[in-house]
Amino acid sequence: MATKDKEWISIPMTVDVPYRFAAGGYMTKCLTELRDNGKIFAVECPKCKRVQLPPRVVCAECHVKNEKWVELPHEGTLMNFTIMYLPLTDPTTGKPHEPPFVYGSVRLDGATSVLDHMVEVEPDMDKVWVGMRCRLVLRPKEERIGDLSDIRYIEPLPGQKKPQTKSR
Amino acid sequence: MKRNVAIIGGGQTYHAARRHDVDQAEMVNEAVRAALKDARMTIDEIDLVILGNMEFFEGVHLTDCWLVHGSGAYGKQGVKITTGGTVGATAVCAGAHHVASGLFDKVLCIGFEKQEEGDTGAILSGVANPLWGRSMAGAAVGYFAMMGSSYIANWGATEEHSAMVAVKARQNARKNKYAHLKLDITIEDALNSRMLAWPIRMLDMCPASNGACAMILADEKTAKARSKKPVWIRAMETAHNEQFELDWRDVKTERLIFSKAAAGRLYRKLGVDDPAKYFDVFEIYEPATWAELIWYEDLGLCGPGEGFRLIEQGKTNIDGPIPVNPSGGVLSTNCIGASAMLRVWEAALQIRGDAGEHQVPKDVRRAMTTAYGGTNWTVMTALSKTLED
Ligand SMILES: [Zn+2]
Repeated sequence: MATKDKEWISIPMTVDVPYRFAAGGYMTKCLTELRDNGKIFAVECPKCKRVQLPPRVVCAECHVKNEKWVELPHEGTLMNFTIMYLPLTDPTTGKPHEPPFVYGSVRLDGATSVLDHMVEVEPDMDKVWVGMRCRLVLRPKEERIGDLSDIRYIEPLPGQKKPQTKSR
Repeated sequence: MKRNVAIIGGGQTYHAARRHDVDQAEMVNEAVRAALKDARMTIDEIDLVILGNMEFFEGVHLTDCWLVHGSGAYGKQGVKITTGGTVGATAVCAGAHHVASGLFDKVLCIGFEKQEEGDTGAILSGVANPLWGRSMAGAAVGYFAMMGSSYIANWGATEEHSAMVAVKARQNARKNKYAHLKLDITIEDALNSRMLAWPIRMLDMCPASNGACAMILADEKTAKARSKKPVWIRAMETAHNEQFELDWRDVKTERLIFSKAAAGRLYRKLGVDDPAKYFDVFEIYEPATWAELIWYEDLGLCGPGEGFRLIEQGKTNIDGPIPVNPSGGVLSTNCIGASAMLRVWEAALQIRGDAGEHQVPKDVRRAMTTAYGGTNWTVMTALSKTLED
């Protein structure tokens, strides 16, 4: 074990590594539709019928090619969430998300998979719950650049109240 | 298996948030020396060295080459493994496969992590797809928080239940001289600890530890000749998942997810009907309290939605009928590259009766371990005291 009275040398170092990722065939179609037409496109597996978002060329479960494109609505259900109290660094920008903030997984109606995103709601347990109905809010067309940030956030559909939880 | 495989030795370092007194090779060497001493062997007898850690946590690639003077691999056959949180168990699994195949008789497996030397959160974000969801992937805590929210909403558990897991882990760790977080805490302490990401509080999460574990595997002939207490590897299973899917973040999922798929296959191999009765002790990989409750269910120790009842009833306590993580688990010590190997090594110590103060107070003949990592995948290992068990 380290002893406190002895000096140990340690050297700080920062490594800044730039990357550029190719979106490939399926993700390019998905991101182009999002940027140019404000549409969310997924693929449906011919075998298990899972509607997969983001779209991928092969259904991982069935090992068959996904060829049917399905347009999804912008509305869905919040499957889970958290109220984050830590200033998480956004790895895509290097800047922290200002806490507290809410994020979670929304399952768009008709999709099997989910989209993890910011939820535009007060960080208050009465304002957000599992099962909450929500919708996507996109950037205005002229600001869209063809990546996931073209979806600004998820917001609750208006006129909902948190259901009373059964006390155990 | 083609040939039976035994664990004939092992060792671990003390685990701590700071280990400035050793560099990576020196730290790995501590565990290697402990394992060789335990097996009464010298490094010259080892045929193959398998080394694993989480890639780039320490900012060094090719750790198998960098650390040869610590691992003992110089001039020997070697394998480097990097499978994220599971890596320690994957190293054991790969070692066991190499012995079972008949190609090697004595294999040294090493898992290590020196988390203090890099930015774990930043490197973990690389686990997420770069184009879809990485902006939210700043830390594991958010993932486990979403899991907790699903568990609470669907099964009706409360924060008290996760606090019970937090307390059990740290109280068990107090009995384990190698553990990192040996905390004398109560349910109230856990419930009053700082909220990180609802419903995860500080004491619901694992620490960032430095440490290493090493294990020596051998074929049946060598094991019986060289070891008084060989522990037998009876079955191993792994299962991958698919990115972008909910898995543990939707507790009501009906998909055969990684944890249930692997457990099902392993139980079928061994003919296990009731795992809670078949195995005498469990060492599972629980980076957060909620993960432990879900493991209970996915391992079939109880029905779906009943995991929180098990902890409530004290069934998984060190002296309970289904002891889970008597070592204190990952919640008390998380040197990621070593954590999954520590599960297997701690289970082996329980079977040998060598766990010391955290030895469970009953006859241990069979043990079950899990690993967890990446975008949800697992490596499971079942051990026994004799080949008849
Ligand atoms: Zn399919």
